[in-house]
Amino acid sequence: MEQNEVILQMVDICKAFDGNQALDHVNFELGAREIHGLLGGNGAGKTTLMNVLYGLYKQDSGDILLKGKKLRIASPRDAIRNGIGMVHQHFLQINNWSVVQNVVLGSSVQNKWTMNLAPEVAKLQKLCDRFAIDIDLQVEVGELPMGTRQKVEILKALYRGVDILILDEPTTNLTPQEVDALFVSLKVMVDEGLSIVFITHKLREVLSVCDRITLLRNGKNVTCMPRSEANEETLVRGMVGEDLNVKDSVIFSKEIREGTKIDEVVTPVLEVKGLRHVTEQGIERLKDVTFSIHPGEIFGIAGVAGNGQLELAETLVGVQSKAGGTIKYNGRELNMVTAELLQQGLTYIPEDRLGDGYLPKVNVAQNLILGAQHKQPYSKNGFIDWRKVFEASWEMIKEYNIKTSGPKDTAANLSGGNIQRVMIARAFSHVGDSLMLAHCPTRGLDIPSMDFVYKKLLARKMQGYATLLISEDLDELLLLCDRIGVMYRGELVGILHRSQFDKYEIGRMMSGVKS
Amino acid sequence: MSKANQTPENKFSVRKLLSHPVMSYLLAILAAFVASGIFIALMGYDPFKAFQTILVTSFRTPNGFIQTLLKWVPLTLLALAFTVPYATMKFNIGGEGQLLMGAIGATIAGILLKGLPPILMVPAVLLAGTLAGAIWGFIPGWLLYRYKINEILTTVLLNFVTFALVNYIATEVYPNPEVGHPTTIRIATEGWLPMLVDNPPLHSGLILMVMVAIGVYAFTNRSTRGYELVATGANPRAAGVFGINVPVMFMMGLVIGGALAGLAGGIEVAGIQHHLIEGMHSNFKILGIIIGLIAKGSSLAVPFVAFFIAVMEVGASAMQRTLNIPIEMVYIVEALILLFVLLVDVVRRK
Repeated sequence: MEQNEVILQMVDICKAFDGNQALDHVNFELGAREIHGLLGGNGAGKTTLMNVLYGLYKQDSGDILLKGKKLRIASPRDAIRNGIGMVHQHFLQINNWSVVQNVVLGSSVQNKWTMNLAPEVAKLQKLCDRFAIDIDLQVEVGELPMGTRQKVEILKALYRGVDILILDEPTTNLTPQEVDALFVSLKVMVDEGLSIVFITHKLREVLSVCDRITLLRNGKNVTCMPRSEANEETLVRGMVGEDLNVKDSVIFSKEIREGTKIDEVVTPVLEVKGLRHVTEQGIERLKDVTFSIHPGEIFGIAGVAGNGQLELAETLVGVQSKAGGTIKYNGRELNMVTAELLQQGLTYIPEDRLGDGYLPKVNVAQNLILGAQHKQPYSKNGFIDWRKVFEASWEMIKEYNIKTSGPKDTAANLSGGNIQRVMIARAFSHVGDSLMLAHCPTRGLDIPSMDFVYKKLLARKMQGYATLLISEDLDELLLLCDRIGVMYRGELVGILHRSQFDKYEIGRMMSGVKS
Repeated sequence: MSKANQTPENKFSVRKLLSHPVMSYLLAILAAFVASGIFIALMGYDPFKAFQTILVTSFRTPNGFIQTLLKWVPLTLLALAFTVPYATMKFNIGGEGQLLMGAIGATIAGILLKGLPPILMVPAVLLAGTLAGAIWGFIPGWLLYRYKINEILTTVLLNFVTFALVNYIATEVYPNPEVGHPTTIRIATEGWLPMLVDNPPLHSGLILMVMVAIGVYAFTNRSTRGYELVATGANPRAAGVFGINVPVMFMMGLVIGGALAGLAGGIEVAGIQHHLIEGMHSNFKILGIIIGLIAKGSSLAVPFVAFFIAVMEVGASAMQRTLNIPIEMVYIVEALILLFVLLVDVVRRK
């Protein structure tokens, strides 16, 4: 790709949060009609940098130059006025409004007293035709699949007349097919004159769609190169730095692992039959879910977020009650409350770590023993042996590289990634637990930490323990699981064995096509 | 171990100073004294004399000191009655009512069980008080558990029920017609708490209170159940996901709180009043809550804060007697201390 005229420059941007340098003299430039990949692991500063550009944060120092002119952006409104739009990873839409209503919301529609949307519909239709976006504008957004809802967000930005579009991890909740479709529309947009910043932590995505790649690590520029010069090897090295030995890593391993052969004679650790769950409002969230997990197996649940994964996890651990079906744990039928299950060797890594797994006001040690407070050696005769707890906590802090001043540190002082490490440490430290239920266990972790978790999961498997891994990251599931069940609208549409793994097949199932 | 928490050398020494808990208290007390001192001066009194009276009366005479100890006992128990449920983030505003229930229970036991030897009678009286208080904590706890009714509302409303109940018992059930004020007849002398010092009188409830305070501390900070109580308060949802029976924890907190306040009422009856008297709670009002909040819910800090407040309360009466400064001034000082303690927290966070 020939070098285009540069339309946007960010020069020497610095930003610190509570003394933590999130961006350290970062430079970034965007050419006209360019898809520029902003690559880096969690905490690299990608989103922070773009939030500065979009006016959500104010930089401590450094300049933003738009077409050579210095620009002060104080709010997203300023950013949009200057033609900069951003689509966030987790966006907010009003479910029972139509696409048009959602798009128009918050913009300065001329006829705001009559709310006559016909001219806006015409305008949007034109935009859709021009950028090859295929959406029915009158449909309620709540009924749309994730990929289309994301197009609504992109349409929002286009409607506001932006010419620079920032997409923050746009592929997180998409099936592989939707990802491909997104990439096609990005190309069309660029041909139509837009410039796009594509934030991601996935190498393959930048290599397949971006014209240029800027790589950040720990809030610093590592490199910037055109795609023609980039290869996986250099990018991996740049992303993880020296913290990870790429050769022994699970993530970058080239070795092909076979799925565990399941011995049908052995009782499964977990056997779920016809499981149903109905919410208090009478909505059926789990429909006839049937699967089993055998010793030494990692069973994955794939699916776009919100298709019943949370309900499955919570019904299994007893937080929500089931409306029908049976759950057998080590051959015994269960109707247990959570406390008993925990006693019996279940460990749980909840998806919503802050809401469901963390006690911010107490100290780190108290967090590390949550759920194990009745177990030896922490508890004796109804009293907690704090000395033992602190010793164990120090070990966990070291092994899991939790960044904290010690077990007595207030838990609220920890950052998101470190909170996730606490969740991981807690779950993996109770040895001999026969079943682990991990829901998005690597969310918010950087690549070396992710790799560490993967190693731990595989080690469990080698020791013959069973794991249920629910994840939104399909690559993670493909890497680790022996079998993958795909969920769609509360149903398990199909279960694939490792030998049958195929990204696109799983993608089809994620959008409801039965195998 | 990665040395992660390398706090950058603090630029502001004030903040560093504030970060020490004892320092932050001293500063809050100082600020409260200065602020209220200005008012005392504006009212035309000598603030230095006033504060001297407030702080020194307790330590000048044996009588003053014993008065202080006698105040310290119920204040500590009432504050613990607030902090134990507060560990689960439930607010027991009904300490007064629970204290009165404890007094009612102790009085009734002391009247009905006449004739038992003191070795049985004293524990029975105190136990009756504790149980009555516990029931008064159980009712809001159960309403919360079963119907999710807000405990702040129920504990406050139950206070009014007890005021009426005290009146009824003191005028209709066991009235003492010789006294002009609604008062019951005396409990049997076998139910009186043994004395530690006869003159001025100091009852052995003091020792009991110290033991109970240690017990509460051990329970909340060392026991597994106490851990679950604290975990529930820190994040009820997460505690529930990890197997703690959260509604039961809420109820347990309120029941223990009620029992502690009930014990305070029992000790008041068995140690000091020897009968139930209308308005006997007015010496304590909501001081239990204020102490609990100044102590920031720490059951370790409660006895110390309670002692300080007891000193101020005893000093306040002396101040009114000798300097004619209204006793309410001390309530203002106490409220200001609480405000400044909270303010110091805010400043420290900034």
